[in-house]
Amino acid sequence: MNKKEIQHLYWRAGFGINPKHLEFLSSKTRKEVVADLFFQSKEYAPLLIDTSDFDTLTYEQFTKSKKIQRAYIKNSRDKIKELNHAWVDAILYSDSVLREKMTLFWANHFACQDKMIMYVQKYNNTLREHALGNFRDFVKAISREPSMIEYLDLKQNKKDTPNENFARELMELFTLGVGNYTEKDIKESAKAFTGYNYDFEGSFEFNDNQHNNEFKYVFGKAGRYDGDDIIDIILDQKTSAEFICKKLYRYFVNNQINQSHIDEMTQVFYPNYNIESVLHFMFSQDWFYSEEHIGNKIKSPIELIAGISQVTPLSFKNTDQLIRIERMLGQILFYPPNVAGWKGGKNWIDSNTLMLRLKLPSILLSNAKIATNKKGEFYDSFNAYKKGKATNTQFKTSSNWLAFKSNYQNVSTKELPQYILQCSINKGTQDYLETLSINNKQDYCVQLMSLPEYQMC
Amino acid sequence: MCAVNVLARISNVLVMDRRKFIKNSSLASGLFFVPSFVKAFSNHISTETGYKRLVIIQLTGGNDGLNTIVPFRDDNYHRARPTIGLKKDDIIHLDKDLAMHGSLQSLKRLYDKGFVSIINNVGYPNPNRSHFRATDIWQTASRSNQFLQSGWIGRYLDQFGKQPYDAMELDQSLSLALKGENQNGMAVQNAYYFYKTTQDPYLKNVSKHYKEAHLNEHNLGYLYKTMIDAESSAKYLYETSKTVSSSIDYPNNSFANQLKTTAQFINSGLKTRVYYGSLNGFDTHVYQENTHKRLLKMYAEGIDAFVKDLQSKDTFKDTLILTFSEFGRRVQQNSGHGTDHGSANSLFVIGGNLKKPGVYNNLASLSDLDNNGDLKFEIDFRDIYATVLNKWLDVNHETVLLNKFNQLNFI
Repeated sequence: MNKKEIQHLYWRAGFGINPKHLEFLSSKTRKEVVADLFFQSKEYAPLLIDTSDFDTLTYEQFTKSKKIQRAYIKNSRDKIKELNHAWVDAILYSDSVLREKMTLFWANHFACQDKMIMYVQKYNNTLREHALGNFRDFVKAISREPSMIEYLDLKQNKKDTPNENFARELMELFTLGVGNYTEKDIKESAKAFTGYNYDFEGSFEFNDNQHNNEFKYVFGKAGRYDGDDIIDIILDQKTSAEFICKKLYRYFVNNQINQSHIDEMTQVFYPNYNIESVLHFMFSQDWFYSEEHIGNKIKSPIELIAGISQVTPLSFKNTDQLIRIERMLGQILFYPPNVAGWKGGKNWIDSNTLMLRLKLPSILLSNAKIATNKKGEFYDSFNAYKKGKATNTQFKTSSNWLAFKSNYQNVSTKELPQYILQCSINKGTQDYLETLSINNKQDYCVQLMSLPEYQMC
Repeated sequence: MCAVNVLARISNVLVMDRRKFIKNSSLASGLFFVPSFVKAFSNHISTETGYKRLVIIQLTGGNDGLNTIVPFRDDNYHRARPTIGLKKDDIIHLDKDLAMHGSLQSLKRLYDKGFVSIINNVGYPNPNRSHFRATDIWQTASRSNQFLQSGWIGRYLDQFGKQPYDAMELDQSLSLALKGENQNGMAVQNAYYFYKTTQDPYLKNVSKHYKEAHLNEHNLGYLYKTMIDAESSAKYLYETSKTVSSSIDYPNNSFANQLKTTAQFINSGLKTRVYYGSLNGFDTHVYQENTHKRLLKMYAEGIDAFVKDLQSKDTFKDTLILTFSEFGRRVQQNSGHGTDHGSANSLFVIGGNLKKPGVYNNLASLSDLDNNGDLKFEIDFRDIYATVLNKWLDVNHETVLLNKFNQLNFI
C-alpha cells in the first residue's frame, strides 16, 4: 500500500501517523493494513478516572441538603474536566485509534450532556464499547443511558403525560433523518418509551406503572410496542441504514455525497447493522483513496490537537488550560452545542478560531514562535515583534521533541511536507517557503504546521 | 489554458448568482419579486454613512422578569413571592400597574425621555427551560422542537453581509447567533489585542504570498480567505477605532467595558451593523435579592453611560439596543429565596426613535399561568426579530428567519 494512501487512511480513521509506523506499514497490502487497523481496536477497554467520591454515594446523602448537593455537583463538574483530559490523552496515545475515532464520531451522533460524572463516564464508555459493534444494540443501549434519559426528558415521559423529545430526536437525528417519519409516528413512539427511568447508581429502571401498554400505531404497524420494538421497527427500514451510511461517508470520505457509494455501503450495512463491516468495506474501496478526497477535510479541533501530538507528543500539564484551548477552538468534549452536535467542516472556522489554530503548533511547541529567517538572514526578525507582545497566553505543556527526532530521523528536511501535510501547498505559499532559510527540521516542522494547509486532512 | 480558467471562473460566478437569485425569489413572497439585477444591487449591506446599527445584549442565565418589571399592585405577585417580592420602597413606578426594580434608576431616566420600550410576555410556544437549549432557540430563532445549526444574525450575514466585521461579538469566542451557513461574524474583546494576534510575521507573509489562481481546493481556499479577512479586518478595526476615545465615565466592570468598546467602534464610524454583548449571572436560584440588585444596577448604569457616549457623537439616533434573556423565571419563589427557570419574559428596546416608547403591552395575568406556573407568552420573540430586520436593518426577514412572522409597532 503506498504511503499517501496509508496516511489518508490514518488521518480519517485515526489521528495521523508518524513516519516510523508509516514505513512499517508500507510494505503491506491494503488488505493487511486495513485488517491491522481493526485488529488494533479489537479490544474494548473503558476509560476510567478516580470517582471514589461518587462510587459509594447514595441518593439520601446526595440530597441531604441543598448545600451538600451543590458541593457534589461542583465536584462532579471538576471530575468531568478530569475525564475530558483523560479522553484527550486516550485520543493522543491509545493504540485503538479507530475505536477512539469512532467514539468521537458517536459522541457527536448521540450528542448528549450531563452534570453527573458517574453517568457521563458510563455514557462515554457505552459509546466506546459499541463504537464498532452492532448499531441496533447500540441505539437500544443509548435509550437506556441515564444521561440520555435525563437529556431528552425520557424521565418526564409518562403514561398520562407523554414527552416526545426523545422519540423525535431518535428519528430525526439518531436513525431516520428529517422527512422520513410523521408527527404521528413520533406521538405513537413516545408512548412506547414511557416508563423509562434510572436509579441513582445509574442502572436502567423500567417503571411498569408509568408504561403505556396500549396499542401504538406507528409506520403502518400496530402493536403493544415497547421502546426496543420501536427501535427495531425503525431500523427495519433501509432508510435508517442509508441515513447512517451517509453520515459516515460525510465524516470519513467527503461532505459531498456520492449516491452510488452510499448504495454500496447501505448494501453492506443493512439489515445486520454491523458497524465494523461497513467501515471495513469503506476503507477497502478504491474510491475511498480517490485523489479528490485526500486532504480536503477541515480538521476538528480535537483532530488538530491530536495531529500535532502525533508529530511531537504533547502532554498538557494543566487541565483547565486544555479545556480553555478546546473552548477557544470551539469544541469542548462532553459539551456539544446541542443534541444535533457540532456541525463540523467550515463551521469550525471563524476569524478567531482560525488565528488560534494557525498559532497553536507554535504556542504548544515553540513558545509561540514561528521562525521567519530569510535565506542569508542572520538575526531573527521575530524578536522585534515579540518585544511588544503581551504574553498572557503561556500554556503549560511539555512537548517531546526527542520523539520527533527519533520518528523523523529517516525523513529529510526536504521531504518533511509530504509527512506533515495532507494537501498540496498553495503555489504562493510554496514560493514564500522557498525564500526561507531552513536551518533545522524542528523550525521547519513548526512552520509547516502553522500553515492553513495543516488545517486539512 | 489561462483563458479557459478565467472563462470557467466567470461562468461559475454566473451560476452562483443565478442559484442565489432563484433561492431568494422562491423564498420571498410574490410581493418582493424584483428583477435579478435590482435584487443583486440591494443584496448586500449598504455602505453609506449614517446607517443603522443594532446592539443585542443577552442577560445570560435567565433574568427574573417579574422582579425587573414589577406588577406591584397585583396581590398574586406578593403572595407568590413572600420574601423576594419587591416592596414599595424597592421600586420605581412606571404606570398605574407596573414599576421598575429600584436598581434601574439610570434606565428610568432614559425611559422618561422616551428612549425605552418595554415589551412584555415575550416567548414562544412549548418553552424550553434548559439554559443551553433556550439560548439556542433564541440565538438560532428556531421553534422549540427544531434544531438549527446557524444563528439568525449569521443567516443575516449569509444573505446580506460582505465583511466578517459586519457583525461583531464583544467576547473571546463567537456565539451561535453570529454563525451562518456560509459566513460568520467575528468575536473581538479588544481591537488592539485582536490586531496583535494577526501580526505574526510568518503568517502575514503567508497570506501576502497566497495565490488564488493556483488554488483548486474549496475548503483550503476558504481558510486562506478567512485568514486574509481576519488580518485586514483586525487592521481596519484597530486603525479605525483608535481614532476616537470616550470622554464618558463608565462603571468599572466587564459589561461596561464591552459597551465602552462598542461605543468606540460605533463612534469611530466602523461599518459594523450588529454588535452582540452579554451580561452573565442571572441564574438566581438561591438568595437572589442582592445578586439581582447588583446585576440590574450594572446593566442600567452601563447602558446609561453607553447612551451618553453615543449621544456625544450623535450616533444614538442610528443605534437600536435590544436586551433579552433566554427565559424568565417561575412566578412562585422557591424555598431558597430564589426563583427557578420560567418562560415568557420582558424585553427592552432602547433607541432614540421609538414609535411606542413606554410599556408596549400589558403584563400577562398572574392568575392565569401555564402548567408549570410560568407566565403565558403573548409575543413571539421572532416577531421582534422580524420587526428589527424589516424596519431597522431594512431587509426582508423571511430569508433570515426561514419563515414569515408578524411585525410589531415599536419602531
